Amino acid sequence: MSSSEHHAHPTEKFYWIIFALLAVITALEVAWSYIGLEGPSLVIPLVVMMVVKFLLVGGAFMHLYHDGKALGGKTFTWVFAAGLVLAMVVFLIVFAAFEFNI
Amino acid sequence: MSEDQTVKGEEMETSEVPVTDTQETATVIEHADLVDDHDDHGDHHSSLGVSNMKLAMWLFLGSECLLFAALISTYLLSKANFITELVAGNPTVVASMQKFKDFAPEKYAEMLEKQSVEPIFDIPFTSASSFILLMSSLTMVLSHKAISNGDYRNTRVWLAATAFLGSIFLAGQVYEFSIFFSEGITFNGSLFGSAFYTLTGFHGIHVTGGVIMLLALLILSLRGKLQRDRAETVELVGLYWHFVDIVWVLIFTIVYLIP
Repeated sequence: MSSSEHHAHPTEKFYWIIFALLAVITALEVAWSYIGLEGPSLVIPLVVMMVVKFLLVGGAFMHLYHDGKALGGKTFTWVFAAGLVLAMVVFLIVFAAFEFNI
Repeated sequence: MSEDQTVKGEEMETSEVPVTDTQETATVIEHADLVDDHDDHGDHHSSLGVSNMKLAMWLFLGSECLLFAALISTYLLSKANFITELVAGNPTVVASMQKFKDFAPEKYAEMLEKQSVEPIFDIPFTSASSFILLMSSLTMVLSHKAISNGDYRNTRVWLAATAFLGSIFLAGQVYEFSIFFSEGITFNGSLFGSAFYTLTGFHGIHVTGGVIMLLALLILSLRGKLQRDRAETVELVGLYWHFVDIVWVLIFTIVYLIP
């Protein structure tokens, strides 16, 4: 049996903990958007919380964290990360195109 | 020796390699209460040592990142352009919001004052929708856990729960769209409307596709055709579902919370 066929998967308790964290962060996000801040003090914490939620769902629910350890590599993580990096490049190119009238 | 036997032999060798990273071993032991061992049967591994199907799904999700990056970029640019022109009093843009101005003059005034589209949105309602979608990710992963353990009853319960929560989210989106539409924010009416409906509509189509896949799995399970050896099928649908959730995490913050 391969290492990938017989690898450790998280327990239900682990998933409930992750869900609780996600719920708390979502509540924090909404609360933060209501306290009347503007500019970077509003946006930066919101973006940080968004990234944390992204990593929690990707790492725990999509098994990137445990698959990466069990398979002895991070093939899926790299495939997904490649898509994300390309996506960010698209994002930057579109913005640059409009900002600098390319 | 057949090719199949060769592959099995290689897998045996892989599994017999001793763990030398003591630090990693210690970490696993430390979190033993959060981790258990189980067997995912039915994986079809490639020469990379990973499942072909799973790799294909991850490649697909990687490409989906590009789609949503393009849509989010378009939305942000359109919104910025829209609000700038509205505040500047561009007659075309002002005319496109005339119905909204008549319907909700306070919100319109607040938009101009804040120079933001944020007053259009109902944040508490969307927060509840976000919570429902996050919860559906939990039920999805629990259904995969259940089928991996051969617990078919709970597999069906969690699959049905995920499809139900996804449907609730979709119903919420339809309700939100209908409210916007009644307020005069239409797809063709303004640049903001076009970008907003395209982005959130595409996400909604993805959720709809996910709900259909979940219902298909549920029917297969009820017919006894979704056994433990097909746990990977549930995992693949789960990956898609979690991706849809991840995209909403981004949309919720970028579209709804950041002015």
